[in-house]
Amino acid sequence: MTLPPPIQLDNLVKVYGSKKSSNNGSANGVVRAVNNVSLEVKPGEIFGLLGPNGAGKTSIISTLVTLEEPTSGTVKIFGLDVTKHPKETKMMTGFVPQELIHHGYFSVEEILQFHSGYFGRRKNKERIDYLLNRLSLFEHRHKKVKQLSGGMKRRLLIAKALVHEPKLLLLDEPTAGVDIELRTSLWKFVAELKSQGITILLTTHYIQEAEELCDRVGIIQNGEIKTIGKTKDLVKDLTKREIRLKFNDDKESRYTVPASKGVGELLAELNVDLKTIKDINIREGSLEDALRRVLEGPSS
Amino acid sequence: MSNSVVNKLVVNKLAVPSFAPFWTLYEREMKRFMKVVFQTVVSPLVTATLYLLIFGVSLGDAIVLSSGLSYMAFLIPGLIMMSVLNNAFQNSSSSIVSGKFSGDLEDLRVVPLGNHQILWALSVGGLTRGLIVGLVTFIVGEIFYYVAEGSLLSVAHPGWLMFFLVVGGLSFSKLGVPIAFWARSFDQVSAVGSFVLLPLIYLGGVFFSLENLHPFWKVLSSVNPVLYFINGVRFGLLGISDVNVYSAAAVSVTALVVFHLIALRSLKTGNYQRW
Repeated sequence: MTLPPPIQLDNLVKVYGSKKSSNNGSANGVVRAVNNVSLEVKPGEIFGLLGPNGAGKTSIISTLVTLEEPTSGTVKIFGLDVTKHPKETKMMTGFVPQELIHHGYFSVEEILQFHSGYFGRRKNKERIDYLLNRLSLFEHRHKKVKQLSGGMKRRLLIAKALVHEPKLLLLDEPTAGVDIELRTSLWKFVAELKSQGITILLTTHYIQEAEELCDRVGIIQNGEIKTIGKTKDLVKDLTKREIRLKFNDDKESRYTVPASKGVGELLAELNVDLKTIKDINIREGSLEDALRRVLEGPSS
Repeated sequence: MSNSVVNKLVVNKLAVPSFAPFWTLYEREMKRFMKVVFQTVVSPLVTATLYLLIFGVSLGDAIVLSSGLSYMAFLIPGLIMMSVLNNAFQNSSSSIVSGKFSGDLEDLRVVPLGNHQILWALSVGGLTRGLIVGLVTFIVGEIFYYVAEGSLLSVAHPGWLMFFLVVGGLSFSKLGVPIAFWARSFDQVSAVGSFVLLPLIYLGGVFFSLENLHPFWKVLSSVNPVLYFINGVRFGLLGISDVNVYSAAAVSVTALVVFHLIALRSLKTGNYQRW
């Protein structure tokens, strides 16, 4: 038995300002935030939606968790249409929003108890304590959210999303505005979740985050998916490497070659004897180069 | 195995809880208002005491009712219902408005809570707060009545009393939901309370009997649904009412159904995102 994909979007369109008809862009106050997006996320992978601010990443996540209704197209989680089976799809999904939440009246522990209860787990102390410990919040469990630092609030959001042991985790800009130390520890935690078999969709505009975590990325711009592929393949296919040769006579030559081309191949092409070379410096293409190439066009 | 068969298996395997999410949200509502008990229970208690002191004790002797009851007795059911309606409304509306402010209203959208569950949890939460404040008002009223008359008020029709308290409390809890979704600020909710609900409650017969009004105001009052809630409670407690109790019951239930439908629509179409 093959389980359906954790996420399946077919021709998803989300228009703000008007339900049905609109042009691209924001003419007459109408914004086509998501434009015919189709994609599939595979079980157990970390899929990154990468793009600039306003590209449509949060709109896609919002339709997955039914915060927004699709204007057209279908959104499925594990084969179930989110508009027809919202409760079932929510039972399988954990969602970490981009914005921090204050929860004025309640302590960290109470918030997790309530969130667990919404999923039918009113006696869930073991799981809550595990998450509090794992996310270094246990000693802060009696504090109100306003007493927490920004990083702790972010970790609380992650604990909330995981309290019911979802199979799919949606992370909307999970490390926006957090320091390097916390970012690194969150990346480690996300990798750990992946090893437990949780499928993860994350949106980010931090290139390094996508490069570090994602098995595959989709680059999105103006509501449209420009390209989808394995992170390594995108770097390989869309970027060039810079090879700098320093010769024994201290002269230097710089060559920009496709990422797939090796140094030996280049030297053979140039008919250069290895003995004449003092040093070789290679700068590999990065996901950032690939992103820039996709967003700005091949000429960049 | 076809996808549709797999889907059915997935749906069947996922036992979506029905009662626990509702109960959790109700519990959250209760804890929320109990965390600010001074504001939610003690403050209305002071207000009711002042009303009883000023209108019941100081001015009560100067007001003669054709029913032969003291003005203090006439006032107590009105104040009870006023407390229930005000607090029920404030509980549901402040829950949504504070959720919009803090950002946690979105939580209700991303968890497996249906609109009916959300609405009933908010409604019953508001009703509970209303009934607690109503009970406290009743106890204070009994103390004042005992001091003035030397005896306690006995409840004439307990069944009718509970009926009108519950229907009224639920109605105003539900009314708080669409108003909170419509509001774009705390000020707007407060304005609805001050400029719409408070006049309706004050002109709904808390302090006066219809028989003392000019015919024009009598006709105008008859379209105020609060008049029927308050007279229903007065009938339940004292056995007297300006309107027929069955008419009062019919209007009250109609208001409940209308407010329920409006609230349900606002939950379906309302904006859950943070201000």
